[in-house]
Amino acid sequence: MGKAKRKSDQRSAVSGQTSGGRAVLSIIGDSPLVEEYAELCGSKGYDVVVVRDSKGKFPPTREQKSKAFRETGAIPPETSLALELTNTDLPAKRKNIEQLGKALSPATAILSSSITVTATRQSSWMDKKHRLVGFGALPGFLDRALVEVAPTVFSPPETIEVVRTFFHSLGKEIEIVQDRVGMVLPRILCQIINESIFALQDDVASPADIDTAMKMGVNYPLGPIEWADRIGFKNVYAVLSALEDDLREDRYRVAPLLKQMAEGGDWWKQSGTTS
Amino acid sequence: MFKHLGVVGAGTMGAGITHAAALTNTDVMLYDINDTILRRALERIKTDLRTGVKKGKITQEQMTEAVTHIHPRTSLSDLHSCDFVVEAAIEDLRVKKDLFKHLETSVKTSTILATNTSSLSVTAIASVLHRPERVVGMHFFNPAHIMKLVEIIAGRNTSRETVQKAFDLSKFLGKVPVVAKDTPGFIVNRVARPFYGEALRLLGENVATHEQIDRIVKSIGGFPMGPFELMDLIGIDINFSVTQSMFDQYFGEPRYRPHPIQKQMVDSNLLGRKTGRGFYEYSDEKAG
Repeated sequence: MGKAKRKSDQRSAVSGQTSGGRAVLSIIGDSPLVEEYAELCGSKGYDVVVVRDSKGKFPPTREQKSKAFRETGAIPPETSLALELTNTDLPAKRKNIEQLGKALSPATAILSSSITVTATRQSSWMDKKHRLVGFGALPGFLDRALVEVAPTVFSPPETIEVVRTFFHSLGKEIEIVQDRVGMVLPRILCQIINESIFALQDDVASPADIDTAMKMGVNYPLGPIEWADRIGFKNVYAVLSALEDDLREDRYRVAPLLKQMAEGGDWWKQSGTTS
Repeated sequence: MFKHLGVVGAGTMGAGITHAAALTNTDVMLYDINDTILRRALERIKTDLRTGVKKGKITQEQMTEAVTHIHPRTSLSDLHSCDFVVEAAIEDLRVKKDLFKHLETSVKTSTILATNTSSLSVTAIASVLHRPERVVGMHFFNPAHIMKLVEIIAGRNTSRETVQKAFDLSKFLGKVPVVAKDTPGFIVNRVARPFYGEALRLLGENVATHEQIDRIVKSIGGFPMGPFELMDLIGIDINFSVTQSMFDQYFGEPRYRPHPIQKQMVDSNLLGRKTGRGFYEYSDEKAG
């Protein structure tokens, strides 16, 4: 397929001018990110299809009753643009990308969260690599006017334009960064959180005092521990371990306490208030 | 509870602390070695008070009253009446140790001695005293008359009562105290390290430009300033030396390792706003 053809196919797909009405947007990946994106895209006029794992991996949630999107067990072949939003479970992510690669036409762009694994690596999991572009998706940032986008060496300008057009339609600008693990904000923010948990582990101060100190001393919009709670400790841990694996420096080792907070649920929230 | 407060050192921090205390109608004995420094500090406080009046934060009466509570002094023995002394001299362990030795002989045995250090060990400063249990760290943030946070640092030998009194004084001054153990960087300077360190690494690894990183951190992260704008404001030399000091105090912990970009910028006198150029250019400000 020639470049010109691909360009016109993708542009028309995202702007929703295909025959038969609204552009179909398929979303697959981690909860609650999937629901956050499905709600937003549904409200912007896309025909949103959330693709659930056939094993019922994602249990029914309240958001499922939302009218903003519908759910299926299989990827609709008429999809105009696909979003893959897995950060924590990389084998599952790989399976999703493989399935998207097989189910969708080579003209359909696949936008995949590339915080814990690079877009370049993800594109090696499928044929027609030019379709995949990475971006930064973490829970809690969907109301922001900017999004980090990481094209791969295989992404032609046409695919990047599709991505730009898509994010514009959501009211966002894109910032194109190099395709590296952690991207920009997740790397800085999760390392701040990691340091705050090291401080907590070293008994430097209480969680509440650490949050207060950072908000009042250096005007952080949220305390690091509050922030981790909002993003989810599982996600923070996934970002930090990906950085640790990728950069192989002691600087990126994950605080043992943070690992426990990610693996053990929210036991730490109750400690000190109950019993 | 705090009728007389002593402030030792009339630099930026000492003036700010004096300003905050005078507004609570506490009598402040502001000590420094010579009159010139004291006069300059008093002028600075008056200017800041006038700004407060202009901005509607305080009334003209509050300002006039506050000034009457500031008592410049050049002899440490004048601090004898103080129940609480906050030292805000330069960040030099030898200078501070020396000051505390003199302070101990100048004040009552019940007087609490606080040090406004941001980077030195409270335990080390207290070590020269006969009664180290009454020494505590009180890390105010600049400008001290505006910023609410005070980090209260309990040294190895600081008593519970001393920590409580520092906590009470902070509240009395309208501040928000948090308590931290005496470890390098305490809370803020430690937890903030990756904000600069990771940004510098991202720049060094060419993941994005400094303008992009600042935009992303502000726009997506919601931070009021990006790391490079902030380093330019703080001074790249100051930021570098804080990082270097943390790295040394933790015996080479890689999380606090400075970045060669910082060293190179210091070497080329690109120190930020104060020299007219750092990561950004500041053409309208005076060049160094």
